[in-house]
Amino acid sequence: MEVESETQLIEVVREARETKRSLEIIGHGTKRAFGRPASGEKLDVSRLSGVVTYEPEELILTVKPGTTSLEIEDVLARRNQRLGFEPPEWGPLFGVSGASTIGGNVSADASGPARVRYGAARDQLLGIRAVNGFGESFKAGGRVVKNVTGFDIPKLACGAFGTLFVLTELTFRVFPRSAHQTVLAVHDVVPERGLDLLRRAWSSPLEPTALVYIPSGLKVGSLSHTSGTALIRLEGAKGPLGEKIDALRSLFAVAVDEAEDGVTLMSAVANGTAFIGTSDEIWHVHVPPAAAGSIVRALGHSNWLADWAGARLWVGTSDANAGDALKSAARLARGSAVLVRAEVQRRAAAPAFAPEDPERAAITRAVKEAFDPLGLFNPGRMFEGI
Amino acid sequence: MKFTPPDPEILARRGAIVATLRTIVPDGVVSDDAGLAAFDGDALTAYRQSALVCVLPRTREQVSHILAFAADQSVPIVPRGAGTSLSGGALPRADAILISLSRMNRILDIDLENRAVVVEPGVTNLAVTRAVEARGFYYAPDPSSQIACTIGGNVAENSGGLHCLKYGLTTNNLLGVELALPGGARVRLGGKAPQAGGLDLLGIVAGSEGLLGVVVEATLRILPKPPSTRTLIAAFDSVPAAGQCVADIIADGIVPAAMEFMDRRCVAAVEAHASPGYPPDCEALLLIEADGLAGEVGDSVARIAEIVRRARGTAREAKDERERARFWAGRKAAFPAMGRLAPDMLCMDGTIPRRALPDVLARMAKMAEHYALGLCNVFHAGDGNLHPLIVFDVMKPGELERAEAFGAEILRLCVDVGGVLTGEHGVGVEKRDLMPTMFAEADLAQQQRLKCAFDGARLLNPDKVFPTLSACIEQGHMHVKKGRLPFANLPRF
Repeated sequence: MEVESETQLIEVVREARETKRSLEIIGHGTKRAFGRPASGEKLDVSRLSGVVTYEPEELILTVKPGTTSLEIEDVLARRNQRLGFEPPEWGPLFGVSGASTIGGNVSADASGPARVRYGAARDQLLGIRAVNGFGESFKAGGRVVKNVTGFDIPKLACGAFGTLFVLTELTFRVFPRSAHQTVLAVHDVVPERGLDLLRRAWSSPLEPTALVYIPSGLKVGSLSHTSGTALIRLEGAKGPLGEKIDALRSLFAVAVDEAEDGVTLMSAVANGTAFIGTSDEIWHVHVPPAAAGSIVRALGHSNWLADWAGARLWVGTSDANAGDALKSAARLARGSAVLVRAEVQRRAAAPAFAPEDPERAAITRAVKEAFDPLGLFNPGRMFEGI
Repeated sequence: MKFTPPDPEILARRGAIVATLRTIVPDGVVSDDAGLAAFDGDALTAYRQSALVCVLPRTREQVSHILAFAADQSVPIVPRGAGTSLSGGALPRADAILISLSRMNRILDIDLENRAVVVEPGVTNLAVTRAVEARGFYYAPDPSSQIACTIGGNVAENSGGLHCLKYGLTTNNLLGVELALPGGARVRLGGKAPQAGGLDLLGIVAGSEGLLGVVVEATLRILPKPPSTRTLIAAFDSVPAAGQCVADIIADGIVPAAMEFMDRRCVAAVEAHASPGYPPDCEALLLIEADGLAGEVGDSVARIAEIVRRARGTAREAKDERERARFWAGRKAAFPAMGRLAPDMLCMDGTIPRRALPDVLARMAKMAEHYALGLCNVFHAGDGNLHPLIVFDVMKPGELERAEAFGAEILRLCVDVGGVLTGEHGVGVEKRDLMPTMFAEADLAQQQRLKCAFDGARLLNPDKVFPTLSACIEQGHMHVKKGRLPFANLPRF
């Protein structure tokens, strides 16, 4: 089933209400294999697509959810602007061709390395239109950066995996594109030291837009290294960028090289390219940055990389029992582990997200019911029964 | 403004309620008239109301006990930080327990490695920066009341400040909270790790105006202090020229740390009050700040100065740190300075798209003539957040009503041009009845269902944000406690 307009979507949802049939909401399906499998009839919303309004002078963009993130970046680039959260392309990771949609990236809360500077989709999604499980369209938020009128429902769209409502319009704040960028590399640093350098840059006024560590043995871009590489992306106008590079060199007091294939490296990190073509399980471990060192030390292998100054770790493993150790290590560090890629049976059996304590689970359930009381949208996608 | 009448049945039980609260917080219950007068409203001074009783807990456990007791007794709760809200968010009710969080004011954890500070809700906004500035960090949201306003209140209102365009509002600088729910359970949302998985409930709590829970702890992101900050004032002989300059700066790809606008009337009032050294005889003044590394800031300042020249303005940079501080002191004194012009003032807070600035300013000037009231404009131009100040005298018959009608017309205009009712002050009671100008019935119904998900009995901060009180019935969640309906004297259905 597919819809081309909000009116059609409302009809479909109302019919689903009446017949009590659930719907699996699909864009281009690039992240369909991320998280728990949803049940329900496939509802393709990818034809709700296109730029609704773009006001470069206001730094505001409104699009329909089926618009691809690549198309949006293309439109913005023509006016020297960009999305702040650097939406990644995870299709190849799941063996799916096709470009990710912005609705999918928002729903999966998928951000790239630039999150460390600009924040996640949640920080940039100012307003939405959507259809709820009552079969009503509603709007929330606004089209200006500074707005506290009513509850901030757009935040709930981010990372809900389509379990609350079906998006029909998204309004983002966008950012000016820097005139120049460079990726600086510190080679031959062991993980603890590399992660320490990243946090130092993170706590400096250099406003780095990517802070990545790649251990030895992991193949990313053209990196050749003996014991690991720290990557720092800096941006600015020509003169100021030179100033930042110099400042980073004196902050680190070690040899810092400019990477030749910086752009490729960064998209490889965003898209998890190093993990394509394996059958490993992939986990995202989210921790306070300073805890990253102890997590990776306990891994005992080098099938991982660190993004966001260590706050996100990509971990690949062929050991089905490794997940439990990761989950408890993450919990101990006051973070959490998310199962990103695994066989479908495994995803159906094990919760992709850290289970919620009873108080929080009760709110999650009540919020779900506030938007979708009959459980029509993506049932089971995030938690059992949600 | 209509408020639901107090529940006489709760008023009749006041003695017992006060007595129980004294067992929960022995040294922190205020129940005498004189004591309660100190808590009878906030910075929206047009509305005053004594609380049933005010309780000042010292611990999160006490907050939980109070909420459990209130739920059991079906007594409404109004949470309060420092009482600096400009929208009446902390306005008490005669039949509600007022929880003042001001004594929960400890900084619990300064974690520079993770760039995080954990605080209790009564810690003031400025105290966070004071606690970390010696180590080269600061907390970015800086509402003008930052010396007094509390973090708990900032979270509830999603407070902004002068630097939102570059650094975001409270919600963008908030990593986590511990929230006490109606009934007393507590839940942790977010933390020092990003992206916990699950619904972004933290995002909903920020800006929820005390309708969903009581914040008992907050984890805040701190930022490294930029080594260089430079400030310019730009004077224009027409308002549209200043508006164009704002648009041109943004269009050039510059994101200034702050960009403030003041009109002639405001500049004159500020000059008389605080002598910041602003240029005399201009129709509009912009205060523009750039921060970052020295070279980067120098580059921005040069570009800004050129854009000001092209917009036929005159730019002058603060020559030293003292003059820079004076420029800002003038801006921050705008409200008190205007307060000298008339006994009473209404401060509006709509946000509009930047391109609508000249048009909206012109139309507001016409409205001021129509209502025969004074108006001056000071606002955050970079993010389009207007603060028109309407000056009036409540003692003159009809002036309050005219001022409120004028304010409402301004906010409707903001919505008409594609903006919103409130950029940073919150809806509270002040803009509650204007919500339908921005939201359709289905939009408001969805928001109210979300409220019910957290607070099915509707005990938290009643009479705020939503124009009509509708029961939590859509999901069969109408909360009936011991056979009594909440607000039993209200017409229903």
